[in-house]
Amino acid sequence: MKGATLKLVSLGKTFEGKTGVVEALRDINLTTDEGEFITIVGPSGCGKSTLLSLVAGLEEPTTGWVEMDGTRVEGPGADRVVVFQEAALFPWLDVHGNVQFGLKVAGVPRDEREARVAEFIKMVQLENFAHARIHELSGGMKQRVGLARALVLRPRVLLMDEPFAALDVQIREEMQVVVQELWLRNATTTLFVTHDVREAAVLGDRIVVLSHRPGTVSTILMNDAPRPRTQNDPTVLEQIRRANEILKAEVTWADQHPL
Amino acid sequence: MAAPAADRRRPLRDFVHLIPMVLVAVGFLAIWEAVVRLQVWYSYLIPGPAQVGTALAELWNRGAIPQSIAATLSRLAVGFLLSLVLGSILALLMVHFRTFGKGIQPYVLGLQTFPSIAWVPLSLVWFGFSEASLLFVTIIGSLFAVTVSVADALRTVPPIYLKAARNMGSDGMDLILRVTVPATLPHLISSAKVGWSFAWRSLVGAEVIFATVGLGFLVEQGSENANIAQVMAVMLVILVLGVVVDRVVFSRSQEWVNRRWGLATTR
Repeated sequence: MKGATLKLVSLGKTFEGKTGVVEALRDINLTTDEGEFITIVGPSGCGKSTLLSLVAGLEEPTTGWVEMDGTRVEGPGADRVVVFQEAALFPWLDVHGNVQFGLKVAGVPRDEREARVAEFIKMVQLENFAHARIHELSGGMKQRVGLARALVLRPRVLLMDEPFAALDVQIREEMQVVVQELWLRNATTTLFVTHDVREAAVLGDRIVVLSHRPGTVSTILMNDAPRPRTQNDPTVLEQIRRANEILKAEVTWADQHPL
Repeated sequence: MAAPAADRRRPLRDFVHLIPMVLVAVGFLAIWEAVVRLQVWYSYLIPGPAQVGTALAELWNRGAIPQSIAATLSRLAVGFLLSLVLGSILALLMVHFRTFGKGIQPYVLGLQTFPSIAWVPLSLVWFGFSEASLLFVTIIGSLFAVTVSVADALRTVPPIYLKAARNMGSDGMDLILRVTVPATLPHLISSAKVGWSFAWRSLVGAEVIFATVGLGFLVEQGSENANIAQVMAVMLVILVLGVVVDRVVFSRSQEWVNRRWGLATTR
């Protein structure tokens, strides 16, 4: 299934915390193409994760709205699936059980379910671990299960919330290759949040740089380097340099304007 | 691969675990025997270990103890299961409907501390000297403890699991049954254990007061007949049964769940 177009319309979110009202996001406007890969990068605490929660429908926006293929998003749905930082796999199920979770919730008949689960477990190269328990897996394998669990639902939008932040550098680069391959194959519209500028530059068709809190769109960088990419491609290096410059300016500005 | 080696080591390690327990038992028996021999009190009020042993053998041989164990455990099984089911349903409702939960929580907490024996008079009026009456005391004596404990257990579900599941389309009761219950199963087993101990105490207590068969009755009968050896022998049986159920049923299932869930493996 083709990825959806996603439209974020003057999206804003404020939280009422113990220390008063915190404005996490302000007036975010963004429209994606079908099957586009967007990376979102910004200083810590700029509301990156909140942005994904709003698109996922796990939280309600304070202002504005999210549209998917022209329809307003209300609440969570299996058409917009999140891959979380800690994978958030269920330890009481094995790999197979985790991957089939959403299909079972949706009531997909057994035969079709088994076929799809097998297909996606194979896609992330975990055939030999289908019946492994979660605590027996490495960090990279867990994230692959997380990806399979999300993609098996054939979502229109894939939301990735710093999925590789907790992994070793080497594994992280490996996972970046895996994600690009999966994306090339499934063409799912993807929002990928990261604090790693290099990761953002390797993965994104467009790189959205968010400002310091409240998060607003500071700059959007285009990145049409051929895929699959690595961090050493000249165009990617150039994007990394530019994104870093912008982020540095954001951080400097934030230091001079404390909340 | 690793399993056979662990299995071979297990009997020895289990034995080592048991040493302190055995030492305490031996020490207790020694003190007991000493108290009896020093004749600090009338010997018919404090029979020695040998006398209690004889009484135990005698009760066993005439079938009183097997019969009582069967009667008590079958009542317990029914009462405990019913209280587990009812308590879990109540707890699910409390967790699912938050306002209802908030409203009812203080009363459930209060009833949990209510001594189960104090239900006996009401139970006798309602159900007479019957099995139903014993069952009622067993259930009412453990129901609220189960409810509080299960509700607490269900609330320990890590929010990230709920988030992930909601994100994949799960919601409402589906979410509770598919995620909350399995995620909190280690805690739920502790809840069952709590419920079991409340049910056990309530039942034996009620049996002492008005049963015509069962371990509690056997204790009471010994007391009536001034047969203190019988009283102590049956008390010993009650104690051992409690320890065995706790060790065999609950500790085992807890270990199993912990291993499966990949939680702390202490062994």
